[in-house]
Amino acid sequence: MNTLAIVFRKEMREILRDRRTLIAIGLAALATPTVLVAISQVSTKTATQTYTVGYTGTIPNGLAILMTATGLKLEPVADPAAAARQQVDLGVAFQPAEIDEWYDPTRQSAQFADARLQTVLGQFNATKAAAALQQKGIDPGLLNPLPVIAHPLSSPVKAAGNAFLSFFLPYILITMVLTGGLSAAIDASAGERERKTLESLLLTPTPRSRILLGKILAVSVISLVSAIAAIGSMLLALSQIPLLGTHVSLSPLAAAVMVWLAILLAGSFSSVTLALGTLAKNFRQGQAYSTPLYFITIFPASIVLFIPDFNPNLAYYLIPILNAVLVLRDAIVHNSIAWPALGVTTASLVTTGLICWFAALRLFTRETLLIRS
Amino acid sequence: MSPAAVKIDRLEKTLGKNKVLRGISLEAASGEIFGLLGPNGAGKTTTLRTICTLLTPDAGSVEVLGFDTRSAPEQVRRRVGVVTADIGVYPRLSARENITYFAELSGVLDGEIRRRVDVVLERLDMVSFANQRAESLSSGQKQKVAIARAIVHDPAVLMFDEPTSNLDVLASREIRNFMVESRDRGKCVIFSTHVLHDAERLCDRVTILHEGTVVATGRTAEVRGAHRDLEDAFLELVEKR
Repeated sequence: MNTLAIVFRKEMREILRDRRTLIAIGLAALATPTVLVAISQVSTKTATQTYTVGYTGTIPNGLAILMTATGLKLEPVADPAAAARQQVDLGVAFQPAEIDEWYDPTRQSAQFADARLQTVLGQFNATKAAAALQQKGIDPGLLNPLPVIAHPLSSPVKAAGNAFLSFFLPYILITMVLTGGLSAAIDASAGERERKTLESLLLTPTPRSRILLGKILAVSVISLVSAIAAIGSMLLALSQIPLLGTHVSLSPLAAAVMVWLAILLAGSFSSVTLALGTLAKNFRQGQAYSTPLYFITIFPASIVLFIPDFNPNLAYYLIPILNAVLVLRDAIVHNSIAWPALGVTTASLVTTGLICWFAALRLFTRETLLIRS
Repeated sequence: MSPAAVKIDRLEKTLGKNKVLRGISLEAASGEIFGLLGPNGAGKTTTLRTICTLLTPDAGSVEVLGFDTRSAPEQVRRRVGVVTADIGVYPRLSARENITYFAELSGVLDGEIRRRVDVVLERLDMVSFANQRAESLSSGQKQKVAIARAIVHDPAVLMFDEPTSNLDVLASREIRNFMVESRDRGKCVIFSTHVLHDAERLCDRVTILHEGTVVATGRTAEVRGAHRDLEDAFLELVEKR
């Protein structure tokens, strides 16, 4: 049998018998649906929750009904400003010619209540103004001389769902490709040194490049399985749990792009984590060396979260990880592939993978590899 | 003496800033136990690691059965088996799987692997725990796995680097018996130790290293000379320098 296949098979056998890796994959598959259920429940609760408005003065005719219908519960208080600090979500003083409002912007419930009140008052004011004009025989249409009729090119609900996927899915993909294989990578490198099997392994006539490649392949497979398990369970959960008022799903095209990017990322991450593990004397040190990778990889994934409309030129697609995030985002949001961007991204990630592989090989073939142990 | 299985000529090696070997020369033949003796830090492990190609000579040369360690390292590794004090095994693999893995990597033919592994398991009396995961084995059993993986490809040269330092009396005796048995099968056995008493009992010839140089070499009885034992001979040799 090919020595590469021998190393791969042995590493896979060891990984599959390692509880740490199996638990990590299982937790990843369970964690994402759990988070989604939590998000769904919080968003549903936020949308249906009733907020309390403490008030003084006389409520204008008809407004009380409107407020109650939109989940704003009215409660008389002595001092609306003081009550708005804790007792109620908003404080309101109804004056003959105006309404004074007090709220604490540091409280999220106050922000939601304020937004809801502004909407209700806007509708109330518009209705009152229209009625007054109509009473005087004037066309209420004067108040809205240029009405806008929106024609969305795609379903706004679906677009909101895609926007959610476009930042959440790349984040999950990158995190899971990295963390899914991390334990296996450190075990296959620093673990060999810690168990004192490294010297015996290097004493075999098998070229070190083949040993390393067999290990990288095994770690890549586990990374991929881990990422696909997490994303698969997430998509399954999304098909069952309504989020943002819809069932979010991934198009086949976006799914294909995601798998392709996952393969490219897994190859690079496996080489990097094995190289770092090779530098370490034991499993614990390997974990410490790998910790900065979390920040390095998660930072580009976060860009899309903080700058949703970030549309860079092609040169940005040379930056590893960021390019994967952008390509995946585009595939999800627009359901199309910008082939030049995908080409640059593929070239960039393959080059990164080769550099990482070469660095890992250099470390793996140095004499100091053994002397350090 | 039969032709040298291992031939070292003026070998020099520096590790970091430390010149570990300062031009040592020695020869070990098939069918003998050759003792590589000396205190800790004398350069014994570095010599063994250079013989088995884990380290490259800075100067001088090392040949194993006519193959130069620099130009034909893979040929050398096919002909060498090493047992160290570190009895590291893959804990999640069974004893049989551990040995099979090394047989496969050492180039044993596919059709031969099972038979060779079975032979080694029988020879080392490992059949009763062959399918047990290595993590559940005792130190002595793990040491047997370590020996088995070193000999499964039937190497002509066997090197033992302080093999008994972590073992109890019974397991140590089994190792010593194994070395004698291997010599009787015509293998070149190189036994590196700082326990001179062990060496005196087992070795046909010895080389004593001190601070990276050879201070004495020859048949065990010749090196001991008129001294009570090898230890006394060693102490006198070191004091002379």
